[in-house]
Amino acid sequence: MTATTPLTRSGTERLPLRPAVRALLVSVLVTGVLGTAFVLSAPPSVRTPLAWCTAAGALLLCVAAVTVARYVQVAEALRERLGSLGEEVARGDQERVRLTGENTRLTEERRRALAERDAALASFANAAGRMQALSTGMLADLRAMQERHSDEDVLADLFHLDHRTAQAGRLADSVAVLSGARSGRRWARPIVMESILRGALGRISGYQRVRTHAASDVHVAGHAAEGVMHVLAELLDNATTFSPPNAEVHVYAEEVPAGLIVSVEDAGLVMSEVQLRRAESAVSGTTDLASLSGTRMGLAVVGRLARKHGLKVSFRPSARGGTGVLVLLPQDLLSRPTQAAGPTATVASPEAREHPFAGLPAAPAPAAPPVPAPAAEAETAVLPAAPAAKEPATAPAGDPDPYDSGTFRTVPYDPAAYRGGREDGPGAHTRPAADAEPGETPDGHARTPLPSRREARTGRTAEARPRTESPSSATGTTPGATGSGPAGLPKRRRGQTLAAAHPEGAPASPGAAPDPVDARLRAARFSSFRNAVRPTDPTPEGNESP
Amino acid sequence: MGRPGRDDAPDRLFTLTGGRSRADSDAFDLVTLVVTETEPTSGMQSEHRAILTTCRRPTAVVELAADLKLPISIVRVLLTDLLDQGRISARHPRSAASPGAVDPRLLEQVLVGLRNL
Repeated sequence: MTATTPLTRSGTERLPLRPAVRALLVSVLVTGVLGTAFVLSAPPSVRTPLAWCTAAGALLLCVAAVTVARYVQVAEALRERLGSLGEEVARGDQERVRLTGENTRLTEERRRALAERDAALASFANAAGRMQALSTGMLADLRAMQERHSDEDVLADLFHLDHRTAQAGRLADSVAVLSGARSGRRWARPIVMESILRGALGRISGYQRVRTHAASDVHVAGHAAEGVMHVLAELLDNATTFSPPNAEVHVYAEEVPAGLIVSVEDAGLVMSEVQLRRAESAVSGTTDLASLSGTRMGLAVVGRLARKHGLKVSFRPSARGGTGVLVLLPQDLLSRPTQAAGPTATVASPEAREHPFAGLPAAPAPAAPPVPAPAAEAETAVLPAAPAAKEPATAPAGDPDPYDSGTFRTVPYDPAAYRGGREDGPGAHTRPAADAEPGETPDGHARTPLPSRREARTGRTAEARPRTESPSSATGTTPGATGSGPAGLPKRRRGQTLAAAHPEGAPASPGAAPDPVDARLRAARFSSFRNAVRPTDPTPEGNESP
Repeated sequence: MGRPGRDDAPDRLFTLTGGRSRADSDAFDLVTLVVTETEPTSGMQSEHRAILTTCRRPTAVVELAADLKLPISIVRVLLTDLLDQGRISARHPRSAASPGAVDPRLLEQVLVGLRNL
């Protein structure tokens, strides 16, 4: 209504003046004739004032006539306007009803479209997830088959299938990323950069043209590893697709304070400034599906993943003549291997192997966790002590006299001795076991049957002795200073020293004649030494080809 | 054939060898002994590094495959690469037992002589 008011006024102002002029002329003529006649008919004495009055009255009449004519005209115009306005209002009402209907329809359509879009996205995501699961399962199966079949032709075919499946998996991952589903599988542990690059390589068709230069041992956190792999796969795929079929694509991984920079350099098409800017905006992760062109969804995937994991992707002309892409992995996605499992351990293991004695227990199996340096030192500390502890244990074995003269020594263990003891009488066998005094051993009582007993024992002492001697060596005393406990185990008497037990000298004197056991011990020690030294020698004599 | 494990490696086997499944040479069979000739360098593939570290002491190809948890064919491809670069040398144990190297009868005589000592 407010819009129609100025219309009306402007219409009124523009009304034609002709009816008003006509009314003015008629009224002037009529009032002029009538006034003149009235004045002339009046007596001459009042004629002048009467003329003035008549003129004034005529003037007023004229003005009134003109005004009336004018208003009649305005009323006329307004009536017409009103009629047309009524029609307009009726038309507007119709329009409003129509538009309301249209609005309802469009709202319904929009709602349906949104629902359709959501359903489509959800089904895409679902399908992509299933395809991901399928491809992951297939890859695991293929890996198992590759382990199982050693035939190289079969292996080549399996590799081919593996490669195709990995590419299909990447496609499924891309669809999953674009439809907002989660990206691929998650890794339970940090993945080393080399594996990340290889994982990316396995998913593109032209992987054989890619050269990786990754000396870094940085690991990528398990939750982001799949995303990073996918980003790199898309970028590498672009690089190999848009470069000549025989040109190489180089990938460098380089640690910087902000994180890790992976650069992909190709020698292919140079992107113009506009293309670079478009690519940058595509990977900025702010674009939605509407700006997605049908065939190029790689960069959109990169953008989404980059925003999800906080990667920074930038494009620039490459020094190789093509395009270079820089991907910055932020520091919080990265981890370094712990010192124990890292390079220090691999440094420590050769050290340990160079040590004469450490080589013996630390069998060089570098795939297995290497022995840390302190442990190797502990081994070296133990090892020299071990032969020293063994020496008193085994050395007397070759020199049987000091023991065999003491009849108590192996009696409880030896059935032959039991037999012999019974032949001699019960005293001969119980007495040494109960109170074994070294000073009493040389008495004639027990000595008489000795030769026969020793002969009967010789076959058994070799196996019986190690059992009895090891405890004595463990207590650190010589066997001569021991007695037998009730269980027959050797026992050192309290306060008894080596000198007191054997005033004539230590039983296992180093100056004793060399015996076979001692020789064996020395041989064993020497061979362990040789074993330890051997790894440092690249051409051991044992493996030289004739 | 088993569910995909959570802890297997993300890299596919064919990326280890650049897609090759067959070694170019027949220098390696299962029991060939491999010995490192040069120390591993930093830019190498991790499997090559592992092989060079393991083979400081002569190691058979089967052992290497078990250590690396890789199929024999893959290990052979890797070893062939290293052999071509001169970083390892291969020694065949059969050459020691091949006829003409040492006569078993001679060994027997030596044994008899040793026993007679």
